[in-house]
Amino acid sequence: MAYADVAQEQREEQREQRRRRRFATKSMHMTQKYLRRMRDLGGTLEQMEPFFNALERIYVQGLDVERPRSTKTVGTYCVQIPQELVYAAGARPVKLCSGHYTAFSIGDDVVARDACPLVKAIAGFEHMGTLPLYENCSLMVVPITCDCKKRIAGLLKEKWPVHPLYVPANREDEDIEHYVDDLYQLMHVVSHVTGQDVTHESLANAFNLTGHAQYELSRFLRIKRTTPNLLYGTHAMAVMNASSYLDAGVWASAMGALNDELERRARANELVTRKDLPRIMLTGSPIVFPNLKIPLLIEEAGGVVVADETCMGERGMSDPVVPVDASFDGLMRSLAIRSLRPCPCPTFADNSQRIYRLRQMVRDYHVEGVIYHVLRGCLVYDYEFRLVEEELESMGIPVIRLESDYTDQDVEQLRIRSEAFVETIKLKKGPLKANRG
Amino acid sequence: MNKKCLATAIVCTLMVLAAYFAWQFVFFEYETNVYTTTAEQLFTIDHLTKLVPLLIIGLLTAIGIVACIAVRDHLMRRDTLRGSFATRAPSSKGRVRSRRVSAFMVVRWVCMVGFFVLMVFGGVLLGERYSWISIPVLSCPANMSQLTEASCYYLAHLEELADLPLMGVMVFVASTLGFVLVLGRVLCGFACPMGLAQDVMHKIRQATKVEGIAMTERMYQALVPIRWVMLLLMIGLSFVGGNFCNFCPAIALTPVAAGLSVSLYASGFLMVFVLIASFFKRRFFCTICPLGYLMGLAHSVQPFRIKKDCTACTECGACYEACPMGIKQLYTEREQTDVTDISCIMCGECVRCCPEDRALSLTLFGKDTYVSKRSRVVEGYRR
Repeated sequence: MAYADVAQEQREEQREQRRRRRFATKSMHMTQKYLRRMRDLGGTLEQMEPFFNALERIYVQGLDVERPRSTKTVGTYCVQIPQELVYAAGARPVKLCSGHYTAFSIGDDVVARDACPLVKAIAGFEHMGTLPLYENCSLMVVPITCDCKKRIAGLLKEKWPVHPLYVPANREDEDIEHYVDDLYQLMHVVSHVTGQDVTHESLANAFNLTGHAQYELSRFLRIKRTTPNLLYGTHAMAVMNASSYLDAGVWASAMGALNDELERRARANELVTRKDLPRIMLTGSPIVFPNLKIPLLIEEAGGVVVADETCMGERGMSDPVVPVDASFDGLMRSLAIRSLRPCPCPTFADNSQRIYRLRQMVRDYHVEGVIYHVLRGCLVYDYEFRLVEEELESMGIPVIRLESDYTDQDVEQLRIRSEAFVETIKLKKGPLKANRG
Repeated sequence: MNKKCLATAIVCTLMVLAAYFAWQFVFFEYETNVYTTTAEQLFTIDHLTKLVPLLIIGLLTAIGIVACIAVRDHLMRRDTLRGSFATRAPSSKGRVRSRRVSAFMVVRWVCMVGFFVLMVFGGVLLGERYSWISIPVLSCPANMSQLTEASCYYLAHLEELADLPLMGVMVFVASTLGFVLVLGRVLCGFACPMGLAQDVMHKIRQATKVEGIAMTERMYQALVPIRWVMLLLMIGLSFVGGNFCNFCPAIALTPVAAGLSVSLYASGFLMVFVLIASFFKRRFFCTICPLGYLMGLAHSVQPFRIKKDCTACTECGACYEACPMGIKQLYTEREQTDVTDISCIMCGECVRCCPEDRALSLTLFGKDTYVSKRSRVVEGYRR
């Protein structure tokens, strides 16, 4: 009897191991497929390789982020966690928001049916425990930006030390004061994990580190604005996504090299596409590597994603921290202010500023059409679609809402819709140009 | 946060109490007040000994600031969140790479320092040919040797204005009104000696990296009644036999620096209070300055304006955080392009800190003179 039990257990164990192996292989293939599709688009530059390699390292080779052995990693979600604090405590921040389809299919059975796929993918990695990026985290900081994030904070707690960070619904002076206190709290928690105190000096150094990345990003955005069609939007999004897994300094230097090359190409007028292709802006729910199917579909259909207003893309980093006061408290305040005030995340009750940001981006990037991406179950972004639609229609910019899930099954349907959208804009621009395409 | 304010308030109250007792002090009270100086007197031993009150004010300010920090640290020690930072001395090595110095700021500082010198020795250096002009800045007219007359004297002694000949009244009204209409509070940001003293205190705090007091909207509102009381005192005290100049801190700055024998009464100690307050809160006195308020009244017609591109603004609030006057509409405004406020002193800090291209700009007659740029904010981080 006991013997049979042990055998039973062993069989279970073996089955579980096979399942994990299958999961690892499948997820590797899935990532590879999207990296390949990204390269097949053409127009990749040699200077983009460090970013693609970083993505490949995490999801294909199954390695952890490149770092000194003694450096601990702190997993963060969303954009409200100041990376400066983590760097100042001597740890490495990694963003754990996930876009992985294989992990999603596992997480689908773990969390609530109507939860968003992003959270399901996180739960999937948590459940399988095969990805070193997740497994090696010494701490996870989860900002409570939506219901799903709140629940996932509880789920992750079973495996890792988790620090949930309360994000206020308003951004008045009192909320900022509270958030400063919360950041002090977070600082203590991170210091406790690393055993390294945050000092004025280490915080200032962290500011300079992320500031460098900020500088190169500002340069990148300026180049993109002034000379359009220098690179595909899909590649730009992959570059932004890679910042989650690279040290800010390394990312900034790679970005500097990319910027230099882009500036050279801008001068030589070496564009990757024709200039008259429909210029699309992407906004809405986060688009996280490897879930790049929407930008890929748009650009494969002959559009160009010129602007990206999603939080794992350019928006997440585009607002710089502006230290006004040189004291320690002044630096902490500037972090808190930067995390809340300019953030156009729909977690805030009054988010009308997002409309203005979209208007500005339409103006800056000469956008001709907007694709509003909604992840299935991502209610906060879905709520805002109506406002965005009304505003953009008053400006005469066509907009469609694309709902997608972390699966390949809806690709064909999405392809038809995005192709039709791109074609309508082409027609609107004039039959002459459309015929030439 | 509240504890920090409490600590400063305690120390400041002590200082004000000291100021009350200073009423009895003979040290700053001269037998006969001398209101002019000559070129021969400048930088003589006599001049230097007359600077002693300034030294004492400086010393008291330093003691007050150290006391504030000590009391605050003591109160904060048991704070679980920030307690560990209360006792730790700020590291001098840590430095966030600063922004590029902009031409606008250089001009502003040159103006402030230059005007300070003129308001101290101007009459001696350039002769007294401009002394018929009344310029509305808090540069004490007890110093007869300064370049021009200051409007504050007759504003605080309205009944004396009535005794002037008609021509004198007209010249006073015309020059004061002219300055208010053309420059307004630009004078606060570019010319006022009190403003310079406060900005210097702010610079000292930035250099020593001591934690300041970040004022919230509620705290600014709490200061409004104080400003009204100040205004009432300035205009009305002379009618009931008082003299606002006995309280005005400005008397302890330019006349003393010029080496005059001027009795300071309570002003010297109020100056200590102003300097301590402006150390922790930039341009604190400007938020309650009665003269500045009067000058701001004409803000809707002045040619200097703060303009905003409401679409480019991301509401990041860097301007509000940087603004020494706490003008919130800088970042909350979403309709109007003109965000010039009654309390705006045109110091340009909001434009300097704004990270969005062309979102905020300081204009003169509709022409951009200082425009916000992303590159100005991030340029310093370049490697």
